[in-house]
Amino acid sequence: MIRKTAAVWAGKATGTLSRVTRRGGGTTLPGDVARAIDPKILTRLAQDLTYGSIVITGTNGKTTTARLVSYLLEGAGHRVVSNRAGANLIFGATAAALDRAGADGRLRADWGVFEIDEASLPRAVDEIQPRATLVLNLFRDQLDRYGELESIARKIERALSTLPEGARAVLNADDPRVAEIGLGLPYRPLWYGLDDVSIAAKTLPHAADARTCPRCGASLIFDAVYVGHDGVYRCPNGDFARPEPDLRATDIKLNGFESLALTIAGTRIELPLGGLYNCYNVLAAYAAAYSVGLEPQYIADRLKTFKPAFGRQERVEFRGRHLVLVLSKNPAGFNETVRTAVDLAKGTNYILGLNDRKADGTDVSWIWDVDFEQLKDRARVVIPAGVRAHDLAVRLKYAGVKAEAPETDPGKALDVLIKNTDEGDTAYVLCTYTAMLDIRAELVRRGWAQPYWET
Amino acid sequence: MGAAILGNMRFTVGWLYPDLMNIYGDRGNILTLLKRAEWHGLEPHLVELGRGAAAEMQDVDVFFFGGGQDREQALIYDDLRQYKQESLQRAVDDGVQILAVCGGYQLLGHYYQTADGERFDGIGMLDVKTEAGKKRFIGDVVVQTGIEGMVPDTLVGFENHSGRTFLGPGAKPLGKVLMGKGNNGSDKTEGAVQGNIIGTYLHGSLLPKNPHLADYVIGKALKRRGDGALSHLDDSAELAAHGWILQRAQRR
Repeated sequence: MIRKTAAVWAGKATGTLSRVTRRGGGTTLPGDVARAIDPKILTRLAQDLTYGSIVITGTNGKTTTARLVSYLLEGAGHRVVSNRAGANLIFGATAAALDRAGADGRLRADWGVFEIDEASLPRAVDEIQPRATLVLNLFRDQLDRYGELESIARKIERALSTLPEGARAVLNADDPRVAEIGLGLPYRPLWYGLDDVSIAAKTLPHAADARTCPRCGASLIFDAVYVGHDGVYRCPNGDFARPEPDLRATDIKLNGFESLALTIAGTRIELPLGGLYNCYNVLAAYAAAYSVGLEPQYIADRLKTFKPAFGRQERVEFRGRHLVLVLSKNPAGFNETVRTAVDLAKGTNYILGLNDRKADGTDVSWIWDVDFEQLKDRARVVIPAGVRAHDLAVRLKYAGVKAEAPETDPGKALDVLIKNTDEGDTAYVLCTYTAMLDIRAELVRRGWAQPYWET
Repeated sequence: MGAAILGNMRFTVGWLYPDLMNIYGDRGNILTLLKRAEWHGLEPHLVELGRGAAAEMQDVDVFFFGGGQDREQALIYDDLRQYKQESLQRAVDDGVQILAVCGGYQLLGHYYQTADGERFDGIGMLDVKTEAGKKRFIGDVVVQTGIEGMVPDTLVGFENHSGRTFLGPGAKPLGKVLMGKGNNGSDKTEGAVQGNIIGTYLHGSLLPKNPHLADYVIGKALKRRGDGALSHLDDSAELAAHGWILQRAQRR
C-alpha cells in the first residue's frame, strides 16, 4: 500500500511538472514513472473503481468511441477516468488513472474508460480486468510499427479469451477479421453491425484486407460494403458469414461532418458528429453503454450534445473562415474522411498533411492505397503538407488532382489555405497524427485554437 | 514526338493477385505504369490476374507481382505454379517485363526457408534464394543502381522484410545499398535483375518516386515490339520526392 501511494505521488508530480513546463499534456510520462516504482500500479488503481472498466481497441475510432462512452457515463452521474488525447499504450492508461488518484493513493472514480492500442490489449486486459471490451475493426495500419494484421488479430484473440468471468466482449460483426476472432471464442460476444443498404457500396475499396474466408480461403462475397472491408459478407462455399448482429443501426442519415442520425433497436439517435465511419463508433458506444445498463432513451437524449475529441472533426474559426480538422491516419480512415468531405460536406479547400514520424508510421507507401481520386475535379484548392508533402504531391499528380506546391512548413500551408478560402467558407484539414499536432500547434501559436490538454 | 510514334499502341499491365498480394501501396506501382504509359502516348490497359486460369496473360507487356501477408501468400502458392508459371516463363522469353516487390520477389526465386528450416518452393525464374532472418529490416533505403545509363543513378524506397535473399550467378543485383539493408544486410546488394525480370524489396511505393525506373521498364517492354524510345516527361514532382529522401539520407 505504501508502495502504491509512493508510485501515485511520483507519477502525479511528473504530470504536473510536464504541464507546467509546457512539454506537452503530461499524458504518458507519469505512467512510466509510477510503473517503475510499482509495476502493478494500474491493477491496484483499477481495483479502486466502483463499477469497473470498459476497454476499447481497434484500428480506427478508438478515441471517438471512448469519448462517447465517457460522455454517456458522465451524463448519468458517474465519475469517469479515461485516457484522452490518444495516449493509448499501457503507460497512457496508467497516467490517466494516476491523475485521478487522491493523496491517499486511491483512485476516485466509478468507471474507467480506456482506449488501448491493439498490440497492448493482452497486457491491458490482464492489468485492468475490464467488464467490457470493445473491438471496433481491424484495418491495415503502420506495418512498420505493428507488423502484419494477422499478428495483431492473434493478440486480440488471445486477450479476449482471457477476459474475467462475467465480462463482455462487444464486437463489430461487419468486420470479417473481428468476426473470425469472435466466432472462435469460448463464449458468445455481443455483436453489432450496420443494416442500411441505401448507404452501402457494392464493391470493396483498394485498401481492403480481410477478403478471404478464414476456413476455405475463397474470396468473400460482399452484399454490402460500408467502410473499408466492413460490411455484409459471406463465403461462397458457406463456410463463414457475418454473424447476426444483436444490435443493429438502421435508417442512417448523413449530413457532412455536421451530424448523423440512426436508429438502434427502435431508438432514434441524432448527434453532431459526421461520416459513415462514425455510425460504427456511435453504435459501438451504444452497445457498451447498453451492456452496462444505461437506458436507450437516456443515451439518445445525452448524445445530442456530444463534442468530438482533439483533431477529430474539431472546428476552428479564423476571421470568418471555418476550419474542420479531421485526423486521417491510414487507408481505411483517409478514404472515409475524404469521402465525407467531398461527397457529403461538398468541401472544395483542403490541407492534406502527411508526416512519417514514429506515431504516424515511418512508411508512407499507404498513401497509394487511399482513393485521392475522389478529389479530382471536385476540389478547388489542395495543399500537400507535412514532412512528406512531396510524396503527397506525387500521389495527387497520379490521381489527376490539381494541387498547390508541396508545403512542408505547417504555418505556410495554413497561409496558403487562408489566402485561398473566402470569408464564410469552410476548409478541411486532413492529417496524420503528428502532422495534425504540427498544424494544431501553429493554430495555438496564432491564438486560433486552445492547447489540446485544455480541450 | 513520343505521342506521334506510339499513338494508339496498346500497353497492358498485368497485376498478379491484386486482391491478395497488395500489401501497403503496391497500387502505386500500377498507377505509375498506367499513367506514364498514357503520358507517353500509349493506350494503357490493366488486367487483374487473380486466382485461376487467365487467358489475358498473353496480352501483357509488364507484369507486376507485389507482396502479401503470410496468410494471403499461402493461398497463392499452388495457383502460381498451376496457372501462372508457364505463361510467365513464355512471356519473359518473348521480352515481356516482370517487376516483383518483396513477397513477389521471393516467390520468383528458388525457395523461401523458414526459421525452422521448412522450405517453400518458389518458381525459380530468378536465381535467388531466401532464408528467414531474426530481425526485421525496416526503414528508408537508398540504392545506387547498376542499370546502365539510368539518370539519376539512385533508387529510393522503404523496406520492411525479415527474409534474407542471396543471389546466385544467374542474377545481378539491382544496385548497391547506400542506406538501409537491402537483400540480406550483409553483402550491400539490393534486388536482382535477370534478363527481363526485376526483383526488389523496395516499397515506398517504388515507381512513383523512381520515374526513371518506371520508364526503363516501360521502354524495355516496348522494345520487343520494335520501339523503345519514350518521350521526355516533366518529372519535377517525382524527382523532388526522390531528392527529399536523398537529402534526408545525407543528413543522417
